[in-house]
Amino acid sequence: MHSDGFSKYHPLTNFLFFLGAILFGVLFQHPAYLLAGMLCAGIYYVLLQGRKALKAIAGMLLLLLIVALINPIFNTQGSHILFRLFGRPYTLEALVYGFAVGSILVITLLWFGCYNQIMTEDKFTVLFGNLAPSLSLLLVMVFRLIPNLLSRARQINDARRAIGKGGDDLPLKEKITQGMAVLTALTGWALEGSIVTADSMRSRGYGAAKRTCFQIYQMGFGDYLVILAAVLAAIVTIIGAVTGATDATYTPLLWSAPVSFFLPVYCIYLLIPTFIHVKEVLQCRIFISRI
Amino acid sequence: MPHIHIQDLSFSYPNAEAPVLQNISLTIHQGEYIALCGQSGSGKTTLLRHLKSVLTPHGVRTGSIHLDDTPLENVPAITQASKIGYVMQNPQEQPVTAKVWHELSFGLENIGCDTATIRTRVAEMACYFGIADWFHKDVSTLSGGQMQLLNLASIMAMQPDILILDEPTSQLDPLAASDFLNTVRKINLELGTTVIITEHRLEDILPSADRVLVLDQGRISALDTPKAVGALLWEKNSPMFSAMPTPMQVFYRAGATGQCPLTVREGRSWLGSSIPKTPPVSYLPAPKPFDSAATALEVKDIWFRYSRDSQDILRGASLSVPAGCIHAIVGGNGAGKSTFLKAICGSCKPYRGKVAVFGTNTKAYKGNLFQNCLAMLPQDPRSLFVKDTVLEDLQEVSKDTAQVCETCQITHLLDRHPYDLSGGEQQRAALAKVLLTKPRLLLLDEPTKGMDCFFKQTFAEVLCKLKQQGVTILMVSHDVEFCAKYADFVSMFFDGQVLTTHTPASFFGGNSFYTTAANRMSRAFFQNAVTADDVVALYQKNREAAQ
Repeated sequence: MHSDGFSKYHPLTNFLFFLGAILFGVLFQHPAYLLAGMLCAGIYYVLLQGRKALKAIAGMLLLLLIVALINPIFNTQGSHILFRLFGRPYTLEALVYGFAVGSILVITLLWFGCYNQIMTEDKFTVLFGNLAPSLSLLLVMVFRLIPNLLSRARQINDARRAIGKGGDDLPLKEKITQGMAVLTALTGWALEGSIVTADSMRSRGYGAAKRTCFQIYQMGFGDYLVILAAVLAAIVTIIGAVTGATDATYTPLLWSAPVSFFLPVYCIYLLIPTFIHVKEVLQCRIFISRI
Repeated sequence: MPHIHIQDLSFSYPNAEAPVLQNISLTIHQGEYIALCGQSGSGKTTLLRHLKSVLTPHGVRTGSIHLDDTPLENVPAITQASKIGYVMQNPQEQPVTAKVWHELSFGLENIGCDTATIRTRVAEMACYFGIADWFHKDVSTLSGGQMQLLNLASIMAMQPDILILDEPTSQLDPLAASDFLNTVRKINLELGTTVIITEHRLEDILPSADRVLVLDQGRISALDTPKAVGALLWEKNSPMFSAMPTPMQVFYRAGATGQCPLTVREGRSWLGSSIPKTPPVSYLPAPKPFDSAATALEVKDIWFRYSRDSQDILRGASLSVPAGCIHAIVGGNGAGKSTFLKAICGSCKPYRGKVAVFGTNTKAYKGNLFQNCLAMLPQDPRSLFVKDTVLEDLQEVSKDTAQVCETCQITHLLDRHPYDLSGGEQQRAALAKVLLTKPRLLLLDEPTKGMDCFFKQTFAEVLCKLKQQGVTILMVSHDVEFCAKYADFVSMFFDGQVLTTHTPASFFGGNSFYTTAANRMSRAFFQNAVTADDVVALYQKNREAAQ
């Protein structure tokens, strides 16, 4: 993947940022804030994933459209009736509200997409390792199991294809039978492997004493700086939210609070990782050009 | 003072008729390198597991084990965890965590070290083992060799006095294996760590071993220096002798006397001192060349890459395999050998070139390619097992299993669970399953990986029988000794292409590095001796000529 500046910060910094971004994204219904959220999250997502992101974003926008179009079918509140569907009113307000709900969904998806790339499972467990060492180890092992099982499933599939079992052009019933066989084999293999892993754990003293948790990441000056900036921006945004700057209603009538200076502050908060990413890229360019 | 002292140890598993270990008495000193060998089922692993309390199997045990004069069961678990390191066979299943750095620190976390100590120890180990470059990687992205090195490093981070290794390299290719064994040797020499190791590749460990312990049906049948053990096994006419290094086998089978050679270098100087520099008979008559009119497999100029922006793995590979022969492909790691097999059977789709099986393009077969035509035995035989017994697994393909079971010599294993079989038995059971599709062209991916020399022999018998039945066999292998002995043709695979194809004698006879031990020790004197049998035959001819 592309190298990213923000991911080099301490897991706590990363985690706090995403916590705020996702909470704000879910709570704010004001259309301007939704738009800002989508744009900021989208930009960072594209920076992280490159060309691959565009395809994913196209999919998300399609989802947004579907949610928006479906909402008025179930939600008939609103005063402007566009047309009647099966005798039920299909209103403008419900349609707009559908767009708002869809946007919240897309914002959450985008931030989680970024989160997954930045907060690798080891960072997550580092965060909670000191609180619950055994639980965090359990999580690490589960995270490890999933890619292992997938690659194993591929291996079994390939092996079975080469003796004429399985393949892409089978009837559905046969496909299910084959899938079940692969699943049984996977379970057996996982159980067998877990015996070896358990032996390997015990032989390295697991359970022999109280476990400590090794911290490979250390908080630096930059971390405190970023956290300070994020906390300041978040406090201002929260003040805005409490005082009603992010309020909006959709049904029965469309209304939203006037856009104030809280919006740019919110944007600054959301763009923190983007700033850091761009700064890194530029610094790299400058260093290279000096050589 | 003895380091480990085993007195009269006997052990049997619950409900088993015969004991696995019988009256084992053994004293191991600090810093010794002990090689443990024996046929599969002779109790090697059981003995090793007794040296660490948490791994000791359940069963009836008599006798005692002392570690530094304390009975092992009285040594606290935390001391055992750090003082006795245990490396197992399977590289993939030993790591617990997802990151290399986390794996290195795992043991230290368990025994309650603080972050500062762990930081230093982990850094130290990463440098000593040369893994600083992949320190931040995911464990799942490592190769088998790297993974096993990581398993060793994460144990060494706990600074053990004793290192126990149970067939650590059986799943590795030869290059990674010798890397690993060199590291073990380095640890033994530089840190004075006691090493107890079981291993198939005796050629690689005997030169470093202080003593060799041979187990036979749970009893110690020999315990001495490598050379003395070799002499003893030859005298006793023990089947274990065939596992000894090639120079030693050649020496005794040729009927020579004196100091027995252990390494290729010693073998070469022994040959030099016992036959003239330019011997009267320097080559064996070439065997009748394999002759077949029909072609089983024709691969023409195939290109393949895994994704659009990755590099080409196959770069115009072409190969023609005559019907009814055993054709072997050898080559380095990552040269694309396995991918080549996958491309033939369609798991990978080449973007250029064509593959024809028995004269028909594989694409034209539609769904019938794997019926009575082509089949492949995967590298890990366990990928083929999906049922609870071997018999059920075989019946998934065909009900008519009797004959194939006999060919593969697995009739006595039919009621067992496939995962309970040993590596060699699993390989044969998987082969049986593949054979039930009645293939005329059989592809084998690393068939001898993890097999000891006895299983290899049995496996070779099965292959020869199949060849007699007219099956064409194409195998990819790292095992040059096996290819030299049983293949009709050998091809070199390099950089995504098949470079050369020859008979084993001229192929290995012409190589100086990528060749068999027998050829390396005899190449200064003989022209095309590639197996131990060849060298013995030529040696005896020359001795007769001299008299």
